[in-house]
Amino acid sequence: MSEALPEFDLARPATVEEAVAARAGAGDARYLAGGTDLVVNMRRGIVAADRLIDLTGIAELDRLDLDGGGTVIGAGVKLAAVAENAEIGARYPAVAEAAAVIAGPQHRKMGTVGGNLCLDTRCVYYNQSEWWRRANDYCLKYRGNVCHVAPGGDRCWAPFSGDLAPALLIHGAEIEIAGADDRRRMALSDLYTDDGADHLTLGDGELVVAVHLPADNWRSAYDKIRVRDSIDFPLAGVAVGLKERATGGPELRIALTGTDSRPVLVDGIAEALADGFDDSTFPAIEKRLKKQVQPMSTTTLNAPYRRTAAAVVAKRLIARLVG
Amino acid sequence: MNIAAKNRSVGVPVPLVDGIEKVSGRAAYTADLAADALVGRLYRSPVSHGEITRLDVSRALALPGVVAILTGDDCPHAFGILPIAMNEFPLARGKVRYRGDPIAAIAAVDAATAEKAIDLIEAEFAELPAYYSSKAARAADAVLIHDDRPGNLEREVHHSFGDVEAGFAAADLIREDVFDCAEVSHVMMEPHAALADYDVERERLTLHSVSQVPYYVHLMLARVMEMDSSRIRVVKPFVGGGFGARTETLNFELIAGLLARKVGGKVALTLTREESFISHRGRPQTDIKLKLGMTKDGRLTAAECEVVQRGGAYAGYGIVTILYAGALLHGIYDIPAVKYDGYRTYTNLPPCGAMRGHGTVDVRHAFECMLDRMARQLGMDPFDLRRKNLLTAPMRTLNDLIVNSYGLDECMDVVEKVAGWSGRAARKTPGKGFGMACSHYVSGAAKPVHWTGEPHAVVNLKLDFDGGVTALTGAADIGQGSSTVVALSVAEVLGIDLGRISVVANDSTVTPKDNGSYSSRVTFMVGNAAIDAARNLRDVLIRAAAEKLDAAPEDIDCADEAFFVAGSDQSRLTFKEVVAAALVDTGTITVKGTYTVPPDAQGGKHRGGAVGSTMGFSYAAQVVEVTVDEELGSITVDKVWVAHDCGFAINPLAVEGQIQGSVWMGLGQALTEETVYENGLAVSGNMLDYRVPTIADSPPIDTHIVESIDPNGPFGAKEAGEGSLSGFLPALVNAVADAIGVDMDELPLTPDRVLKAVAAKARAEKAAAKMAAGR
Amino acid sequence: MARIVRLKVNGRARSDAIPDNRLLVDYLRESLRLTGTKMGCDGGECGACTVLVDGEPQLSCLTLAASVDGAEIETVEGLAVNGRLNALQRAFHEKLGSQCGFCTPGMIMSAEGLLRRKSAPDEADIRAALSGNICRCTGYVKIIEAVDAAAAALRGQPA
Repeated sequence: MSEALPEFDLARPATVEEAVAARAGAGDARYLAGGTDLVVNMRRGIVAADRLIDLTGIAELDRLDLDGGGTVIGAGVKLAAVAENAEIGARYPAVAEAAAVIAGPQHRKMGTVGGNLCLDTRCVYYNQSEWWRRANDYCLKYRGNVCHVAPGGDRCWAPFSGDLAPALLIHGAEIEIAGADDRRRMALSDLYTDDGADHLTLGDGELVVAVHLPADNWRSAYDKIRVRDSIDFPLAGVAVGLKERATGGPELRIALTGTDSRPVLVDGIAEALADGFDDSTFPAIEKRLKKQVQPMSTTTLNAPYRRTAAAVVAKRLIARLVG
Repeated sequence: MNIAAKNRSVGVPVPLVDGIEKVSGRAAYTADLAADALVGRLYRSPVSHGEITRLDVSRALALPGVVAILTGDDCPHAFGILPIAMNEFPLARGKVRYRGDPIAAIAAVDAATAEKAIDLIEAEFAELPAYYSSKAARAADAVLIHDDRPGNLEREVHHSFGDVEAGFAAADLIREDVFDCAEVSHVMMEPHAALADYDVERERLTLHSVSQVPYYVHLMLARVMEMDSSRIRVVKPFVGGGFGARTETLNFELIAGLLARKVGGKVALTLTREESFISHRGRPQTDIKLKLGMTKDGRLTAAECEVVQRGGAYAGYGIVTILYAGALLHGIYDIPAVKYDGYRTYTNLPPCGAMRGHGTVDVRHAFECMLDRMARQLGMDPFDLRRKNLLTAPMRTLNDLIVNSYGLDECMDVVEKVAGWSGRAARKTPGKGFGMACSHYVSGAAKPVHWTGEPHAVVNLKLDFDGGVTALTGAADIGQGSSTVVALSVAEVLGIDLGRISVVANDSTVTPKDNGSYSSRVTFMVGNAAIDAARNLRDVLIRAAAEKLDAAPEDIDCADEAFFVAGSDQSRLTFKEVVAAALVDTGTITVKGTYTVPPDAQGGKHRGGAVGSTMGFSYAAQVVEVTVDEELGSITVDKVWVAHDCGFAINPLAVEGQIQGSVWMGLGQALTEETVYENGLAVSGNMLDYRVPTIADSPPIDTHIVESIDPNGPFGAKEAGEGSLSGFLPALVNAVADAIGVDMDELPLTPDRVLKAVAAKARAEKAAAKMAAGR
Repeated sequence: MARIVRLKVNGRARSDAIPDNRLLVDYLRESLRLTGTKMGCDGGECGACTVLVDGEPQLSCLTLAASVDGAEIETVEGLAVNGRLNALQRAFHEKLGSQCGFCTPGMIMSAEGLLRRKSAPDEADIRAALSGNICRCTGYVKIIEAVDAAAAALRGQPA
């Protein structure tokens, strides 16, 4: 028998409005999409909820609009569907590439775009059983007072490890959010803050309903490091985008996941490229990248390795795109 | 025994006799039988080492739905696998020694109640210093984990054979390296589970469990529960693997029995994956210092090896493991002198035990890496170097192990050829490397841990009016195919269809005692007992046939479901006719077959000399091709070629499966697997952080069977399920050295370790260049 | 809370009162006694619990039974027809794609999902489709052979 899940009631709304309303009425409620993150965490006792709002019956969340200039991907679209969609692959290669390597095949059949964007942060001190965490006096992220990764500090360093976010950041994605009163759109980058214990900026009861991608001419690519070629979360994931300009060489974007408590869009790339793109460019980019990410000892693999390897992956993706 | 296979029941690939249940979903494993049982849960120690100063279960017991709670007070008897080292209690008494040590057990009406009750148990501890490395545990001022083991040493072993000093003096090349092999775990797919049912009226206990050794579980239940063993029935249903995790009685099996008696009914104790990890009994973290001497033409002159194993909190198989590590320095190459110093420590970590390749894997790894490095130093091919040091069977090793058959040379010939070893230079691209290594393993321990004087194996056969032969065996089929070996052996000897045979295994009320599935003993010992039983049955049938055919028994033969006078077409009876004739006077026929290892094969007279002794060693050689990404530190295993001498392949399909599984488990240990603890807490107690390779990480394995036909093995067979494991690790490390010129001394070769080694090499080269420039 | 959930399990329509917090794997194993579906880990890490939900391989250990209301569920017990093994089951048996058998139901259901969408998968397809299922016995070599043989058999070609 599995570890018994705590008691909760399940709401199965048919519309976004019903979902948001169901959440507003409950004390400790959570949205449930594919369940590949939330249900694991509930079984481990690191997420408690007395109501789950099952989003799988909401047709609007499954929308996939590729007809117009831009693209709309509903938050309920399955990761496998993103990976297999030829149009997404053509327009936003990094997005399809990222989706194709998330966890294992069953997770991709279950997991959703919204779920991957709102993935909980992860840490070896956090993703453990209740017995384990209690024996270790819990941690700053949940029920404890100390971050075991950096005991002297006052923040949680658990990294965000969703693969889609960096790929979507490269393409300037916006997300559409439904709240109790209205809907709003904001840049995907604004969804995150660099605090492992509270990394999402969503307001109370807010629900990510869709991702909007502009029509652009960024070419992009995604790759990641992990020990096993399936199932594992990324130790570091890198998305790179490249846009040719009429003059002045290409424009470049780099975004990372798995290193920090939020996905990181690397700053200052334009300056590094100021003199055009040649052999000396990458060291300048690498310097900026390594300075802006801060992997900590949140996995069983050595943290500096993750930074070093992330830079290597970035270099290769750039080379691939530059051709 | 080595009788020629003629009926082609053996020697051809056959699916497992219990395979249809597994693919159809009908196979019932322990947890599948638990439907109407109470739910058991364990309260485990949150601290690594300490005295239990207060334990109050009253609030938990008062919770509605809680039926019973046990503590150490209910467990006055220690248990363990070795009669001389029983120092573990089902539930801790007074002291806890690792984080996860069970302290109390609950039986409740459902899982939710049991878990709530666990939270209501109150315990306090006076913590003691805890030790997570062999070095810390051995420090002069360390507190003792077990009062009777000074220095926190479970056992030290000092063996020396031949003139080691003279050996090194005769060497042209001496090399000494140090290796650090991480602890690994079995991760059999089925988590631990036990189902106990106590009949209060009859005072009888029935236990279903995941055991590889139901007989030992039976003994320990009787001991711990103070029951007459005749009142206990142990059943092993389908078991989802073991790899050594279940070769000793485990605490949860005994706790289930105790709980069932307390509630007067049925209790299921199904452990989580995390609990299965911390029940452990895996391969210990091992430090190895190995020194080899060699002449310039590659002849070994002496070996000196020091091994320190971080044993964990309880004895388990520790003494055997540390003895194996030294004993199996022998039996593969001709070494004139071998010195071995072994130290098995106690630490405040989950207890280690036996794991596939028990005791030998890490030492073989170190040895084969060293041979490769020395071959390089001597400018020799690693195959050629090994060929300089082969044994000639039959022979007896320095430490008194017998080698009756020896297919290592043929294994090397095969893999050298199929891997295209000599042409590998042409296939070398940047990052590409090739490595090889050899290995061996026992076909059953010649002396069982519980020495009773009984035969090593017994098989019963029943033949009745229906013409069906039922083979009764206590051998635990845990997926390796032992029931199939029994069926095939009987079919071969009697010359009958496999479909006539039913195998009934592992129900102590029905099947004969068997020591269990460990040290690759089953094919050799149970196979021989099955042959013996079948021959005894054949004798009965031949007598009946002879009478009916009016012929002399010695002229009767059997094949193709018939008994006949050899060379005659007319004098022929069908199997059913013979059975009918044979039953006339006696009714149902039951016969027995046994196998006993002769005393002179049971090892040397020196202390610990029985460990390593066996009737037959398997041998294996393999070549590994890798591609190393020097920037990312990642290693891709492109292909493996392996040849394994199993004596004779009774079922070549299962032999291939065993070889592939062994090689691949070696791959896991070499590349990705390691247990990680944080102050004694198992960080890697799950299948994300303990990284068992997926199909995406697993190479093609080109598998070849070598048949040296052992003089004593069943049809000439020896073991197939362990010997190929240990060779993979060094073959991989040697391939990485070939690829990028870096010798890795630490396992596993995770990408961070590889990059660290690459960087260290670059620094060393830079420093050397600077020195050279400065000169 | 419990609710009436309508499911089609191995071809049979069912309507059962199921608590909201009941996992699909527990519903199958405990309520329906379909114990072929296995639990090998503490959630989402091993693939042993894989079943088909509307034809797609999913993890029953992370799925709430109530959240797949109206779906068609297939487990390993539903593959045989009148007691006759289906092509994948037969191939896993005959090619020894199964040793201890514990990962086998999940492995077969993942492979079944693959063969339904691709009748002639190559080795890379097989590896990709099964990469969420851990096996500890076989080294996967004979599993790949088994899926390949089953696909060939279904296409009417000799294995």
